Amino acid sequence: MSSNEIVMTNIELDENSLSAKDRAEIEKAQPMWKMVLTQFMDHKLAVAGAVIIAIFMFISIFANQIQSITGIDPDAQNVSNRYLSPWTTALAGPDVRETAVERFIMNNPEASDKVQKALIEKGLVAVAEADAIYELVATKEPAAVLADLKSLDIPDTKNLITSVKDFETFHFLGTDELGRDVFIRLVYGTRVSMGVGVLVAIASALIGLLIGSIAGFYGGWIDTVLMRITDALLSLPTIPVLIVMAAVDLSKFEWIRESKLITPSNESIIKMVIILCIFSWMTVARLVRGSILSIREREFVLAARTLGAGDGTIIVRHMFPNVIAPMLVSITLGVGESILFEAALSFLGLGIQPPTPSWGNMLNNAQELIYQAPFLAILPGILILLTTISFNYLGDGLQDAIDPKAIRR
Amino acid sequence: MTTFITRRILQTLAVIVILSYVCYYLMSLMPGDPVDMMVASNPKITAEDVQRLKALYGLDQPVYKRFGNWVGSISQGDLGYSRTYRVPVQELMGPRLWNTFILSIASLTLSLLIAIPLGVISALKPGSRTDYVVNLFSFAGISIPSFWLAIVLIIIFAVKIPLLPAGGTQTIGGEPLGFWADLADRSVYLVLPVLSLSIQQIGRFSRFTRSAMLEAMRNDFIRTARAKGLSRSRVIWKHAFRNALIPLITILALSFSGLFSGAILTETVFAYQGVGKLVYDSIIQNDYNVAMISFVISVSMVLLMNLVADIAYGFADPRISYQ
Repeated sequence: MSSNEIVMTNIELDENSLSAKDRAEIEKAQPMWKMVLTQFMDHKLAVAGAVIIAIFMFISIFANQIQSITGIDPDAQNVSNRYLSPWTTALAGPDVRETAVERFIMNNPEASDKVQKALIEKGLVAVAEADAIYELVATKEPAAVLADLKSLDIPDTKNLITSVKDFETFHFLGTDELGRDVFIRLVYGTRVSMGVGVLVAIASALIGLLIGSIAGFYGGWIDTVLMRITDALLSLPTIPVLIVMAAVDLSKFEWIRESKLITPSNESIIKMVIILCIFSWMTVARLVRGSILSIREREFVLAARTLGAGDGTIIVRHMFPNVIAPMLVSITLGVGESILFEAALSFLGLGIQPPTPSWGNMLNNAQELIYQAPFLAILPGILILLTTISFNYLGDGLQDAIDPKAIRR
Repeated sequence: MTTFITRRILQTLAVIVILSYVCYYLMSLMPGDPVDMMVASNPKITAEDVQRLKALYGLDQPVYKRFGNWVGSISQGDLGYSRTYRVPVQELMGPRLWNTFILSIASLTLSLLIAIPLGVISALKPGSRTDYVVNLFSFAGISIPSFWLAIVLIIIFAVKIPLLPAGGTQTIGGEPLGFWADLADRSVYLVLPVLSLSIQQIGRFSRFTRSAMLEAMRNDFIRTARAKGLSRSRVIWKHAFRNALIPLITILALSFSGLFSGAILTETVFAYQGVGKLVYDSIIQNDYNVAMISFVISVSMVLLMNLVADIAYGFADPRISYQ
């Protein structure tokens, strides 16, 4: 009793020293999300993780725009420019340049005629008229070619100029073993890897929510069966099982082949999402079951039942809001884990199939290339590491912020 | 206790049987069967020959019948024949299992030796700079893709600074130099795989040790022990750590599946001749007998370790009762 009194006087003292404005501030009820946000902002690394994830999300959403800004085709192969180191410009091979000129001559016979004549007249090239443009493009640097073409001052050369500009490509992060630009492939890889990760995490959370809530709510033999399955799946060594499943040929199923849902280009992505979903709903299911078991006996559930609510209503309207917060944490952690698994399987050559780039399959060949191009092996891995570490910190921060019992750091 | 153990053993056996059937079924769904592969390399073969071959190997029967036959021959001790290596599966498995066992145990020991002190130190000073660094390190450890770490290690320690071999299990073609020289030779090849396999485990273990230790240090009996004037190390190791051990055993048991998963990737990158690489290679090369046996053995090993851990709880913590 005496300790209570001391506390009371303390509060009184505090209140006296506060100004009216501050007091109003404190007394105003804070919404849940605001409290969570304030707590979350205290965890510096989690905030950094959230920022990094936002950047990667942005990149994966705007991959097409990034491609049109840089003007580099992710699938354009260029055998003469393999393993370029970062920050170099590459010249298109002679065959590519020749075809471009040929196309120009085919499409604009009059303009090319003028250009050819002008080139010979000015003495820029000294060959037969028909070979003039070919000679110019083959012997000179693209910049010099452009200058020459502009000095001719012929109006219809616009097409030629744009294709000459494309001869020279700047490779911010170098090129891979087929001469493709690493940067733009990483951008598209971000889209695939993040997409698979997020999709798997959300889908498996929904499966887990369904199974966990059924098991927790109904109990009895349903609970026993579902939880035995969950435990059995949890105790499996994931990678061997995933390898076996990833090697399955989906077209051996009649109904899948006939449904035409799966095309060669998206088969590996769909397969990856399904397989990873099968093996990642268990943690959510156990979590949801635990929370629902503890909620089931609470008064508000009894009240809802007395008012005549059915099982579905009770589970969805009254129980789900109570499990969403911990689920959010587990979804966040799940994304990181799925990205790791996807990368591992793609690295083994069983996940996302090339030419679709993903961070994992960009590492697939990298091991054989550690002598020629160690850079190729480093980059995708750094992105995987950055993303998973960000998701893990984000999950950690969310957990601390949502759970009031968590230990404050 | 006995009924509990019997029930758990029966459950484990049931899971193994169901899983091997699922695996057998999945393998039948893989592109191409053995006869298709033989046919592919022989243009002169006729459709009747294909039929006869399929009947000979039993491939024209439904999957469950083939599975039944397979289990039958396994129970008679015949594990089948490897198509790729041209030896009976028994001869293949022994040394592979031994290699994986060495790799796993070495990496487990290393990670426990590093992770437990790290976790305890950071739990004793929560919020300190040490805690912060250990935390950062363990998060990085959990998030790092082990196969990528393996490649980076190869680049650093085998390509840039040629200290260690980039892959393999032991020096090929060398004369046997006696026990110790062989051991030294093998351990050189183990350094990088063990390192790359351990980082993730270290991260996970140190995080769990930290939280288990924090939990244990908050108990009343710790304050009592301190008040009695016991030495600091005695309080930490005898009173707190022993209580932190129980959650650690859980994690240790669950980590076997992670360890094995990691071993597949690590063994593949380092061309280390273990079961993990065998699982991967045989599936890629459609070597069904080897794939099935190595899959079943690896899954059973993991499940058995879980069983052992479940039973070990009872001895670690007398408070746990089995109904």
